[in-house]
Amino acid sequence: MALFTPVGPEDGLHHPRTVEMGLLVGAGLLTAGAFGLAALANRSDTPPAVLPFLGLVLLLLGTAHFMVRRLAPSAEPTLLPVVGFLNGLGYVMIARLDEDFAARQSVWTLVGLVAFTATLIVVPSIRRLADFRYLLALGGLILLLLPLLPYIGVEIRGARIWVNMRFFTIQPGEFAKVVLTLFLAGYLVDKRELLTVSTRRFAGINIPDLRHFAPLALALAIAILVMVAERDLGSSLLFFTLFVVMMYLATSRVAYVIGGLVSFIAGSVLSYQMFSHVQRRVTAWLDPFSDANDSGFQVAEASFAMADGGLVGTGLGEGTPGVIPAVTTDMIFAAIGEEFGLLGAAGVLVAFLLFVGAGFRVALDAVDPFEKLVAGGLTALLGFQVFVIVGGVVRILPLTGVTLPFVSYGGSSLVANYVILAILIRISDSAAKDRSHGGADKTLLGTS
Amino acid sequence: MIDKSLRRLLMVLVVCFSVLLVQISRIQVLDAEDLRNNPENGRSILRDFNQRRGPILTIDGTIVADSTEVFDSAFTYQRQYPEAELYAHTAGYYSFNLGASGVEKTYNDWLSGRSAALRLSGLNSFLGGAGEPGTVVLSIDHRLQEAAQELLAGREGSVVLLQPSTGAVLAMYSENTFDPRLLANHDGAAAVAASAELNDAPGNPRRPAAFSDNFFPGSSFKVVTAAALLDGDVGAIDVPPSAEYFAPLASRPIGNSGGTLCGGSIDDMIASSCNTGFARLAAEFIGPEQMSDTAEGFGFNDPLPFDLAGSVAAVYPTDFGDRLRDPEGENLVGVYADSPVLAQSALGQNNVSASPLQMAVVAAAVANGGEAMSPHVVHEVRKADGSVVHTVESDVFSTATSPETALALQLAMRGAVLDGTARGLAIDGIDVGAKTGTAQLGEDEAGSHAWVIGFAGDPGFPPEIAFAVHVKANPEVPDQSGSRTAVPIARELVAQYFGLT
Repeated sequence: MALFTPVGPEDGLHHPRTVEMGLLVGAGLLTAGAFGLAALANRSDTPPAVLPFLGLVLLLLGTAHFMVRRLAPSAEPTLLPVVGFLNGLGYVMIARLDEDFAARQSVWTLVGLVAFTATLIVVPSIRRLADFRYLLALGGLILLLLPLLPYIGVEIRGARIWVNMRFFTIQPGEFAKVVLTLFLAGYLVDKRELLTVSTRRFAGINIPDLRHFAPLALALAIAILVMVAERDLGSSLLFFTLFVVMMYLATSRVAYVIGGLVSFIAGSVLSYQMFSHVQRRVTAWLDPFSDANDSGFQVAEASFAMADGGLVGTGLGEGTPGVIPAVTTDMIFAAIGEEFGLLGAAGVLVAFLLFVGAGFRVALDAVDPFEKLVAGGLTALLGFQVFVIVGGVVRILPLTGVTLPFVSYGGSSLVANYVILAILIRISDSAAKDRSHGGADKTLLGTS
Repeated sequence: MIDKSLRRLLMVLVVCFSVLLVQISRIQVLDAEDLRNNPENGRSILRDFNQRRGPILTIDGTIVADSTEVFDSAFTYQRQYPEAELYAHTAGYYSFNLGASGVEKTYNDWLSGRSAALRLSGLNSFLGGAGEPGTVVLSIDHRLQEAAQELLAGREGSVVLLQPSTGAVLAMYSENTFDPRLLANHDGAAAVAASAELNDAPGNPRRPAAFSDNFFPGSSFKVVTAAALLDGDVGAIDVPPSAEYFAPLASRPIGNSGGTLCGGSIDDMIASSCNTGFARLAAEFIGPEQMSDTAEGFGFNDPLPFDLAGSVAAVYPTDFGDRLRDPEGENLVGVYADSPVLAQSALGQNNVSASPLQMAVVAAAVANGGEAMSPHVVHEVRKADGSVVHTVESDVFSTATSPETALALQLAMRGAVLDGTARGLAIDGIDVGAKTGTAQLGEDEAGSHAWVIGFAGDPGFPPEIAFAVHVKANPEVPDQSGSRTAVPIARELVAQYFGLT
């Protein structure tokens, strides 16, 4: 526990909510400042009509702060301001790129904060959710399957991951990730002793009883198969990562990680041979510039954009990020790199690193093992999602279409990530309460 | 147990993020220059089309090209050419699909603000962006340019008006021409279609004939022949009058226009445009070396130094065959295997060809005491606040003749206006010198190129302007000639310049 110490005396200037408010004001100033820059730029795509929406976004973050004050007063104070900064910066970037998307994104931010508040109100204790783990597994699988259903499932740009809601579309997969994390945490807390203790040896490796492994493997297989059917490479990769992370967190056994990596490589080779769209992505990753007008176009343009940005960027509204396909969603990091430069891009990565650090601190401070797993799993999921999409944009990994959390345009992703934020804040608040009760909570003894 | 895993997992994520930070540093700083110069990188072009581009003005302030913001297009700025085809061959066009031409091409760095002198000013340069766009000012006078267009009246040909002392182009217009607005269209398909149509159009309208096409200069070239004589070893001599001249080894004689008898001094022969006299001078007195040297001194056989792309090299032969020996085979005589060709070349026929701009440079060099100035259409580049950031320097690219020869030629050409083939250029109160030219296409083809080259100024002062007018041979107008067709155009132009109309 020495790595992260809890926030000091919870009064006056050191009260976590005071810290949070100060940081939020800073994030709000950064967002408004960036917005002012966009409006002042020589040529700008930011029309004045976006201003009320910016006000709405800032107001919402303020409201979120007061909700936390009422509903989770002892929660970790840096998570919400970091999210405020990322969401605000992403919103300004979207506003500069596409006015219509900006209006919709501000509405999604409203929905996200309603979901955030609702989660805080409806779930006063995350550990209770462990009791519903099989219900959650079922719910997660249904969410995953929804886009494959006729009539309501929609295919966009080759991936069938959307559900038509008449006036808008949602990606149930974004919510499935959260729900399945809760299931995995619940199941693993229940069974982790059994998964850790080896019952036999095979080829010099200790093998735990495979019976306990079966439901997990089944869930994983169904999830991966569904995602492959939907041609959602990014989510398959993330779900697989989540599974390995949760197994490792619960058991501390590196063997699961090695096993995960081996099956990941096998799966990668298999999907490379089976799917032409996977081959295209890999070719575009290895050498985007040899086919820069076709398969490599998106990745090559992202690099050209970021190179144009240089150290300090072209300035907001001064670049031409509009040429990059999917620039408001998958490629928004390249637009930030172009207009805010290396400093801005690194700033965004540092903000995510702060979020990941704070999330892990919540996990470490948590007393209940289920809550530990949930906080660690959700934080790692978000962290790896950033790595997968930014790595794809900057040619570290093949590009897979996932959002940059809180920054990219996209309603489902934004709302799901606000739910993740609410869960982390609720867990940290519970942990603080547990400690103030002398740390003698029964849950310390475990759930099983 | 979970805590230990959590800490390890955090380390893994920190490593992942460090890899990302290293990679974005590579892309944005270390490898940025390579990425910007990658041949597949079209962003600098795109950026140019999404920012305001500097205007192109004439020296008297007429807007030739400008950028206006548009809202229903792929790009933010649309290039406008309010004068349509009038400056198509000088200012050129600027098209996303078709590239650029003219000043739009050669002064792109200034117009886009990428030029170092413009980047140094302005905050943007500090941040690595483009500087403010420059305003390019042409040396062209809008009144004279309009007059050139009106006077050609749709006939294929060119009008070039230069300032002899600087080489500045005061007017330059060619028919056929085109409307640059068709090519600058943001609708790429429409622009490409218009381009293809122009390429197939008769008369090659996209080609600036004034400096990209060569024509037989005909008798206007006699100014060069006269310069070769005066600058050569022989110097001024008189030629006995004749109506026919057989060059050595020639099987057919050279005659004079209308079969007249002519000869005498250089002054006489320039005034009467004496074919037989100049042919004899070249074949028997000047010789091939001096002829080539003088022609090249005026700029022949090399593309003219010019601030627009596509300047063509005028052609004068450099090889007239071996020098022959006397019948005993002992002494070399002044006869060459191609002496008949040499005789014809003195008249601007056979293998001689030149662009209208080249012939204007010949007149300008004579008017400027023998020094040929590099022609240029751009006067200077200004910033938005009017301050000058770049001035085009006058540059002597060649000493074509000695000052004495130039003065003698000026006198001879004045004579052609006073009492010769260029009589139509006589204007009260203005000192005009000129040489006409009527170059027949050939025995089998009807029609002649009509030329006049010359200079004009206030009496007693050095000439202020030099000009070349060329009206292309047209089989449907067989009686076209320098005196009848080109001289009236030049006269109106000179009168316009001196404010006499």
